[in-house]
Amino acid sequence: MALVTAFRRLAQYSRRSVAVLSSPAVWHSNPRSFTSGIQPLRADNKVTVHFVNRDGEKVTVKGSPGDSLLDVVINEDLDFDGFGACEGTLACSTCHLIFDEDIYKQLGPITDEEMDMLDLAYGLTDTSRLGCQICLTKSLEGMVARVPESVADIRQSKDGSA
Amino acid sequence: MLMMLQQALRVSARGAFPLLKWMERCTERVSAGHQGARTLDQMPGPNVLSFAWDLFAKRGLSRLHELQVRSMPSFGPILTVHIADPGLIEQVLRQEGLHPMRSELSSWKDYRQLRGHHYGLLTAEGEEWQTVRSLLGKHMLRPKAVEAYDQTLNSVVSDLIDKLRFSRKKSGLVPDIASEFYRFGLEGISSVLFESRIGCLDPVVPEETERFIQSINTMFVMTLLTMAMPQWLHQIFPKPWSIFCQCWDYMFDFAKGHIDQRMAAEAEKVSRGEKVEGRYLTYFLSQTGLPMKTVYSNVTELLLAGVDTISSTLSWSLYELSRHPEVQSRLRGEVLKVLGDRRIPNAADVAQMPLLKATVKEVLRLYPVIPGNARVITERDIQVGGYVIPKKTLITLCHFATSRDPAVFQSPDEFLPERWLNRDQSHHPYASVPFGVGKRSCIGRRIAELELYLAISRILLEFDVKPDPGGVSVKPMTRTLLVPESQINLQFIELRPSPLPLPPSLSSSSSSSLLLNMDALYETERTKRGAGIISHHLQGSCLDAPSPQRQNSDLGQE
Repeated sequence: MALVTAFRRLAQYSRRSVAVLSSPAVWHSNPRSFTSGIQPLRADNKVTVHFVNRDGEKVTVKGSPGDSLLDVVINEDLDFDGFGACEGTLACSTCHLIFDEDIYKQLGPITDEEMDMLDLAYGLTDTSRLGCQICLTKSLEGMVARVPESVADIRQSKDGSA
Repeated sequence: MLMMLQQALRVSARGAFPLLKWMERCTERVSAGHQGARTLDQMPGPNVLSFAWDLFAKRGLSRLHELQVRSMPSFGPILTVHIADPGLIEQVLRQEGLHPMRSELSSWKDYRQLRGHHYGLLTAEGEEWQTVRSLLGKHMLRPKAVEAYDQTLNSVVSDLIDKLRFSRKKSGLVPDIASEFYRFGLEGISSVLFESRIGCLDPVVPEETERFIQSINTMFVMTLLTMAMPQWLHQIFPKPWSIFCQCWDYMFDFAKGHIDQRMAAEAEKVSRGEKVEGRYLTYFLSQTGLPMKTVYSNVTELLLAGVDTISSTLSWSLYELSRHPEVQSRLRGEVLKVLGDRRIPNAADVAQMPLLKATVKEVLRLYPVIPGNARVITERDIQVGGYVIPKKTLITLCHFATSRDPAVFQSPDEFLPERWLNRDQSHHPYASVPFGVGKRSCIGRRIAELELYLAISRILLEFDVKPDPGGVSVKPMTRTLLVPESQINLQFIELRPSPLPLPPSLSSSSSSSLLLNMDALYETERTKRGAGIISHHLQGSCLDAPSPQRQNSDLGQE
């Protein structure tokens, strides 16, 4: 796992330093690196989302309207350890995300079921939601979603066994 | 208070002689990191003699949930750490890993191995479990998928209402409501699994469904016993194990029969060139290329998981509502307000009924169907409350204890649904988690909730539910699951004068003499069934058996 993370960081770094890569095929295993960097012209109707991962790094990706934020994390192969453990079935709170207040207000109503699950989340805030319950719309273009740290992460990184 | 803290984390071991220790929770303050953490040897345990006295001399097997509260751990053949503090339960569940495991030892697994069956969601582990969980989770837990079952479930609720009318005595008294609700539970889960009805709520209940329900009951009684008995003891006292196997045999046969029947009907349609479009769980399962043995075992386990759980919770709900008429009337008001002049709520309607949801939460806090659960963390040592718990240790989560803990809930033994309505008045979120939490939590949760909401709201629209005038208060008891200790009888008083509807299977017939005949037949059926009940006898012998046993339930968290 640590190796994968290291590779991803390297990939990100490469993307930043090498603005245009002639052969993107090399990076197919990690399309995330390219959605924002290589294909800016394919603006289409996708929605840009900025995730801030647990290390405080910003990861910018795009998703289709109607996709949930959990779908985006999975489709883009984002490595947020333990994220979305129950696969969007509203049985856990591991896809907990924190939003800025103005975005939070645009996220639509929250069901009792989501609220109950959120109560079980680690580091709950007033602007917390579950990523599996937030669907992308054009009006959310450029939104920022912060992935909170979890107890398990702290322990796992200490053990060195992520 | 100090006692409570001491009791939060306990460990007991049983080797050549019992080794029991106590532990104080203040040690939780020990700083994180393995250096500062204590080992299990430093954790205290309780007095084994007084616990053994409680367990065997004072009918402790059926009072296991109470012993949890009174801080006595069970002492099984293996080391187990008991956790009865919401904060510590949270710590365990947050570290449960990728493929959470309930317990390594289980007579349920032994049976399947013996017969060459596959494991279902309740018994499978690792990747095998994950595959089916992912598949069924999509159809059983996602809010949109669950909503789709409301019409199917409503037709079962309609039959339940008719059945309650049919079973009422002159005074409106329905004796032993739990037995009516067992059939409702089985009919409900069958309708979701097979998209067809199996007649549990007909005036004359098919014998095979009665036998299925009886097998579940007996199997649960035997579960405690077979898990408590070491393998060599099965040789000397073979009866519990053989009864246990017979019950499972019947349940597997029952499920296989229904699946095969459904699949054959489907195949016939296909051969006639008709389009097959299943919206039921067995169909989804069978379409995935999983071996049929896996389909059989999963359907068997889902069927079984949908019966006691629904029955107990619905029984307790109406029991408490009958004893709290003011809550009942407010709840009825809520239902009427949402429905306007309609009589049948759907999934979207019940979503707007906060008191209804609070009532079910409160009932499950007071009577969690799964009074205790367990986790085994196989891949690494974890730290809980400042102690290092080595990998593969059986960790028992005492949910009944935390949900009745006066330090967490004010007036913990009172039925107060309002406590769930005010989010500011919050309690520790892990104090009452009747369905479990996380990827191994109850897969039937959302369907069960919907089923309960639809049933309770409809019953309250039709009846004023009152306690049995000659009745007494009923306590819960542990039978692997937490169930009512004695019969719950309730009065169902018709709210609106309306012609007495005929029971479902008779609705097409208008002959009143037929109705009378059926009535008599039904009474005979009930008498016959009473004679055939073996679980009561078994229960007695189970309680007398001097064997150590664990508390872990195998149900509820799939």
